[in-house]
Amino acid sequence: MTTAVLFAHWPDWIGDLSGGLLESVKLTAAISAVGLPLGLLLAMGSSLGPRPLRWLSIAVVEVARGVPALVVLYLVYFGLPQAHLTLEAFVAATIALGFTMAGYTAEIFRAGINAVPDGQREAARAVGLRRGQELLYVVLPQAVRIVIPPILGYVVLFFQATSLAFAVAIPELISRAYTIGSSTFEYLNVLILAALLYAAIAIPASQLVDWLERRRDRLA
Amino acid sequence: MSSVVDYLGPLSAGIGNTLLITFGAFGIGAAIGIPIALARSARWRPLRMLGVAYVELLRGIPPIAWLFIAFYGLAQLGIRVESMPAAVGGLGAISGAYMAEIYRAGLRAVPHGQFEAGRAVGLTESGLYRHVIVPQAIVTVFPPAMTYVIGLLKDSAIASVIGAQEITALALGEQQQSFAGLPIFLAAGIIYMAIGLPLGGISRWVDVRLTRRLADA
Amino acid sequence: MEVQGLGKAFGPHRALEDVSLSVAAGEVVGIIGPSGSGKSTLLRCINHLEQPTSGRVLIDGVPIADPGGREPSAKELAALRRKVGMVFQSFNLFPHLTAVENVMLAQVKALGRPKQEARARALELLERVGIADKADSRPRRCSGGQQQRIAIARALALDPRVMLFDEPTSALDPELGLEVLGVMRELASDGMTMIVVTHEMHFAEEVADRIVFMADGRIVEEGPPRQVMRAPRHERTRRFLRAVLDR
Ligand SMILES: Nc1ncnc2c1ncn2[C@@H]1O[C@H](COP(=O)(O)OP(=O)(O)OP(=O)(O)O)[C@@H](O)[C@H]1O
Ligand SMILES: [Mg+2]
Repeated sequence: MTTAVLFAHWPDWIGDLSGGLLESVKLTAAISAVGLPLGLLLAMGSSLGPRPLRWLSIAVVEVARGVPALVVLYLVYFGLPQAHLTLEAFVAATIALGFTMAGYTAEIFRAGINAVPDGQREAARAVGLRRGQELLYVVLPQAVRIVIPPILGYVVLFFQATSLAFAVAIPELISRAYTIGSSTFEYLNVLILAALLYAAIAIPASQLVDWLERRRDRLA
Repeated sequence: MSSVVDYLGPLSAGIGNTLLITFGAFGIGAAIGIPIALARSARWRPLRMLGVAYVELLRGIPPIAWLFIAFYGLAQLGIRVESMPAAVGGLGAISGAYMAEIYRAGLRAVPHGQFEAGRAVGLTESGLYRHVIVPQAIVTVFPPAMTYVIGLLKDSAIASVIGAQEITALALGEQQQSFAGLPIFLAAGIIYMAIGLPLGGISRWVDVRLTRRLADA
Repeated sequence: MEVQGLGKAFGPHRALEDVSLSVAAGEVVGIIGPSGSGKSTLLRCINHLEQPTSGRVLIDGVPIADPGGREPSAKELAALRRKVGMVFQSFNLFPHLTAVENVMLAQVKALGRPKQEARARALELLERVGIADKADSRPRRCSGGQQQRIAIARALALDPRVMLFDEPTSALDPELGLEVLGVMRELASDGMTMIVVTHEMHFAEEVADRIVFMADGRIVEEGPPRQVMRAPRHERTRRFLRAVLDR
């Protein structure tokens, strides 16, 4: 196979695959919209909550981190209908991958919260803030600054993980590449194109994350 | 309707392949990670760029895409790879990129003075690495490497998409027969956790030992 | 040992310029000078931890590397460094090895001495620097002064022709520094050839046979300790000594 043949059909496919890439990006946004707030809640629950809530949060995090995302996805997509809750594939993927993302990011948020010095909390209380205010105005703003780079790192990772949605037939990037491959038998060519599209987003994005991290460490 | 417990047995038949994929891929990654890390910090620019390209591409493209390329893509070239070798090889190639970065961080964590002191007492470069640098770097390398193994355990589920008969593939097979997704995938999840949690425990135990060994007599 | 016209540039910055120095067997040379004057760079170039840009170093008349020529091979370098012992400001002991293992490592791996012999030699050296009781402790369990004495034993274990010391006491409390200076004094009186970069003026004056004053990568003046320290010929030296002694 020559390079010319490798590239021959790329112009025909690029439109379809770009549509898939857009779907992947949308799914990433949806997953993050579920996963990040849930992750923050779990982090607060496991580091600041009363004891029963603390144990519950820790258990949820362990499960979310311990079970493969693909298995969670199958569980939501194939399992929930048994509990009379049938979800559209996109929604199922959002919930499943969002849950997994929450587990991973909870650890990051928790580390961020713990990284805020105790003195800050004491100072907040000393100036008469209530516990909720202390959290909202003093602890979280500082914690968020610390965690932004690693959290964005997870967003990039979950952009790649949207490829798991292939398993529930969401027409995202890798699904479309696979479909084209199975109808043309030009698997290699179309898969390489799809792979490059992933890389075109993920590599610059993770470089940006590295840069943010270095900048944060320099300013600290 | 059958319960979670009923599926633990049948799905356990996939544990062997799951572990084979996990540790096979890790073994490959741990081995090829060394030359990749060396290339990545080589003085000769083209070699260094090659190392960077490898690491960035392997990490920047999702595992599914790599497994598809290994399984379907190579087949197009007439290279038939069975699903298990394709899974182990594909995930192994990815592991190489991650392990290279872990090794590099480990080397960076060894103070510069250790390199100087090793050279100053007349060790050759290979002796320097064998007896002075690696024993210290290992303490930094071990925890992230173990975290990576546990990550691989979960990534091994992806091998089911190219037909490797590991835990998740068996679960999917059961689902297609009985449509009892809830207990089936719960059982699968339980099995993964039953492997992953002890693995995490062992790694923490070894980590404590390693750190203590370095700390005092 | 002979240093001939040694130069070292870091990019455009010249850390060493045309430094020549010859050290006779058994001689103790003290190097003093302001921070950044190139003292460490000189020592590091002597045993090629830093590749000199020009000039060369000879030990027993044998050049260590060709002037400006090819870089010495790793083997040649390792062989050279066995003839030169080096003691660092920050000790740089191997933290994963016990004291006696620190002293044994290069004997076994670089010289190929049998383990038993290396161990016996290591214990003898630890005894000599006064810390035989710490033989089986790891560096982290030892005080700074003890660590530096282990480092001296480690360097001595290869039976070097010359010992280089780069501010061996400046990371230590004065009291612990005295232990180390004591060991060095004994080494000197046993006839070891030594080059010592130090800020300890009294020690330099007492122990050194010759003092070399460096500034801006050059040797400004050298001579017997009394002369250089009490009656320096150069204004630059006088300024430095005044600043140091005023403190
Ligand atoms: N690796 C390096 N890269 C660039 N410049 C260097 C390097 N090592 C030393 N220098 C520069 O070379 C000059 C001489 O440094 P050197 O460490 O030899 O001084 P010194 O006399 O030992 O000083 P001090 O008393 O502070 O130890 C300094 O200006 C220093 O900044
Ligand atoms: Mg210095």
